[in-house]
Amino acid sequence: MRTLGLIDRATPAPSEDLWPRLRARIADDDRVALRVPALGWREATALAVALGILVVVPDPFRFLVASGIF
Amino acid sequence: MRKLRRRELLAYLIGAGVAGTILVFPFVLRDAALRFFLPGRTVPLVPFFLLPVLWGGWNLLWARRQPRMDIGAWGASLGVAASLVFNLYLWSRDAWFAAALLLVAFLPVVYYLLWHLVVGPLNEALGVEGERVRATETSHRAL
Repeated sequence: MRTLGLIDRATPAPSEDLWPRLRARIADDDRVALRVPALGWREATALAVALGILVVVPDPFRFLVASGIF
Repeated sequence: MRKLRRRELLAYLIGAGVAGTILVFPFVLRDAALRFFLPGRTVPLVPFFLLPVLWGGWNLLWARRQPRMDIGAWGASLGVAASLVFNLYLWSRDAWFAAALLLVAFLPVVYYLLWHLVVGPLNEALGVEGERVRATETSHRAL
């Protein structure tokens, strides 16, 4: 009992109140806001270039396989 | 031992996760196309299964260096490097074909779109971009 008492007394008190942190964590329900950029002329041009290349190449299937994304 | 920062590790996982998801195309759709529509057709394969490692590492570099450029451009530069490596790989395997040169234009554009529209928003949502944003906010507050 004496040992337990010593350990108890030696343990430092929490430096700050944990309740506000816990409440904040409960309020924040782990949702993330995914903000996808608006599609503009840059994205449209990039898409057109990619599709244009696929139209131009003689064997699109072979080309796509060689690109590593298909 | 040098410790990896949380946001750098997260950046690696985002890059690897997005590229790993894209691998469904070569692993499932291409396989199905070859099996059902083009049986017996031989196609030049590149080590596409390494893409998650490459993308993860590239996004980790992005998080560590925070270069002053759009993340789409950062992804496009990886596309340039990948297209050159793929060309060299095909050439070393005697599988190179002239149209493969167009990969130098095609991959950067596709990578730009994927990094700009997918990797970038994920980085922002999960806090990979946090440090620079916080630093900017602090400097604004100081002003």
